[in-house]
Amino acid sequence: MRAARTAYPLKWRIMDALEGVAAAIWPARFRRATPYLMLLPAVLLVGLLVLGLIQIADASLRTLDTTTFQFSDDYSIANFRRALTEPLFLVVAQRSLIAALIVTAVTLVFAFPYAYLMVRTRSPRLRKFLLIALFLPFFIGQVVRAYGWLIILGNQGMVNEALGVVGIAPMRLIYNYPAVLFGLVQYMLPFAVLMLAPALTAIPEELEAAAGSLGANWVRTFIHVVLPLARPGFIGAGVVVLTLSLTDFAVPAILGGGSQDFIANAIYDQFFRTSDQGLGATLALMLVALGSILVGLVFALFGAGTLAMGRSRA
Amino acid sequence: MQEAFRTVASREAEGGREIAVAVRNVGMDFDGVHAVKNASFDLPKGRFLTILGPSGSGKTTLLRMIAGFQTPSSGEIFINGEAVSAVPPHKRSIGMVFQRLALFPHMTAAENVAFPLKMRRRDARTIPERVERYLALVRLGGYGGRRIHELSGGQQQRVAIARALVFEPDLLLLDEPLAALDRKLREEMQLEFRRIQRELGVTTINVTHDQREALVVSDDIVVMDQGEIQQKAQPIHTYRQPRNAFVANFIGVTNFIAGTVRAVSEGGDVSILRGDLTLAGKIGDPANPPAEGDKASGAIRAEQIRLASDAAQLSKLDCVLAGTVTDTIFEGERMVYEIACAAIGDEVMRVFDHDPAAHMQFEIGESVFLGWNARDMLVFR
Repeated sequence: MRAARTAYPLKWRIMDALEGVAAAIWPARFRRATPYLMLLPAVLLVGLLVLGLIQIADASLRTLDTTTFQFSDDYSIANFRRALTEPLFLVVAQRSLIAALIVTAVTLVFAFPYAYLMVRTRSPRLRKFLLIALFLPFFIGQVVRAYGWLIILGNQGMVNEALGVVGIAPMRLIYNYPAVLFGLVQYMLPFAVLMLAPALTAIPEELEAAAGSLGANWVRTFIHVVLPLARPGFIGAGVVVLTLSLTDFAVPAILGGGSQDFIANAIYDQFFRTSDQGLGATLALMLVALGSILVGLVFALFGAGTLAMGRSRA
Repeated sequence: MQEAFRTVASREAEGGREIAVAVRNVGMDFDGVHAVKNASFDLPKGRFLTILGPSGSGKTTLLRMIAGFQTPSSGEIFINGEAVSAVPPHKRSIGMVFQRLALFPHMTAAENVAFPLKMRRRDARTIPERVERYLALVRLGGYGGRRIHELSGGQQQRVAIARALVFEPDLLLLDEPLAALDRKLREEMQLEFRRIQRELGVTTINVTHDQREALVVSDDIVVMDQGEIQQKAQPIHTYRQPRNAFVANFIGVTNFIAGTVRAVSEGGDVSILRGDLTLAGKIGDPANPPAEGDKASGAIRAEQIRLASDAAQLSKLDCVLAGTVTDTIFEGERMVYEIACAAIGDEVMRVFDHDPAAHMQFEIGESVFLGWNARDMLVFR
């Protein structure tokens, strides 16, 4: 008897008790419902989002009376007409879209070698260093980082000071379009690397060795073997970077200094400066539509990549 | 240089056949660990060589150096008489079948086979015909349009072989490609490798830890252990005349009886003393013969020992011991007996019995006699 008790550790007995409690609260015959129960919080969250979207759709159809600051009771598509015809919104939309495309392309080009080195290096120290360097910016936060760039790139910033030493006159490095693009690429790079790395890990190193032994130099190995096999990673990373850039607020606000507004900044202005919630809701809906169309286009053209979670192989 | 390695060519390089691969004093260090030590051998054109050894013996490292994926720390490798250490893999004319095949999953079977031709910029008009010819060679005619994941394990093997051969390389390297297959398929593919190699006459180096595969497919076997080449010989010599205790133990099932050398004769006869027992045998390695008083061990194959319930039945044999059966293992085509022999301190001897007619059967605990001929016992230092 004594031996049996010592052979049954305390940890097991605690687990048994816990299982007993769990069985009392949630009997075994409810087990089929367990997965749905676990899904519930996520469903609730998405449900709230849908409710919000309905609210926004409702608001987008009401126009603001600028004399009384009251919203109309009847629906009209006046807000949509304004959003599509006023040149300011077109300029903002164009600026955001082009920036998103440029940022995505540049980020993927920069992220690939980083991810490749991180995945393929034989030195565990180098891999650790690359990983830490990748995660460090996450700890700093987007706004603080953007202000950091202001300090570095400003008229009295480090870069202009350094240029002054070699005799180059100070340049305006912030509050312009390139500054926003720069800030966005810098912000997106870790996301892209994190999305690309698993796709590259999934490519057996042996395939590259095989391509070499079959007569391909590294350029042709890259074009014919690595690139096609890394495609799911590129799609996943591309979609994430594209949507995050398109909808970004802080970087254009801070590094653009008000002169380089993106769609999100225009929406903010409508909600909190002019207090025209109707127009703001309209712009928000159109941004959702634009993003959805872009993502849908990518999926239709290239497949869902890593975001398909391996269900259908590209 | 050419002359230098011609003269050291092994005795198997019959009739002045051209040397396809010459490995000269090649060594490889990883962070101070000697993965390969001072390895040298010649491989004449058109022959099938197997590098056989346990895992960690350096056999794969040696193969990867020949393929060009690793550069030797010392020594030099010659392919068709040219030193290749400075030549990258894609400029060597070597076809390689990888351990996990390394087929390109985003291409069809035919596209995989066409890949080396495209990379080598062969005339695009001849590629489809050539691809189909090589798919037919590996008995996959008509399968070209299949995706890699639509093919069975054996079919994938064949695609990998076709891809490695289609550009007519000077040398074919096989990096344990059969290790993952089940036994039946593995044995089928071994014969397939041999057929294709003979049909094309391509010089081949195969790496394996499977002694049966080495014996079946090869013209020559290089046995490696702890980074060193233990023996290079034809399969039959590797099996029947192992050069040292490692080779004798690694290939086949061998019993070792340790003792002290009592006498060595001119003719290669040697006798060792174990307790009160004197065992007669032959010198295993004439290049490294034991001297009187040395510690040595006699090696006797499990299949060279005869069993009988009565000592008189073994009277024609040179050495007879009494023992007790401690275990019987039925392996289908043969019975394996483990027998403890009192004369050698109850050490267990393993004995094969292939008697297909009588189905003689000894039980555990039964007293038996075992005997063998002195010429079958090889004595190693």
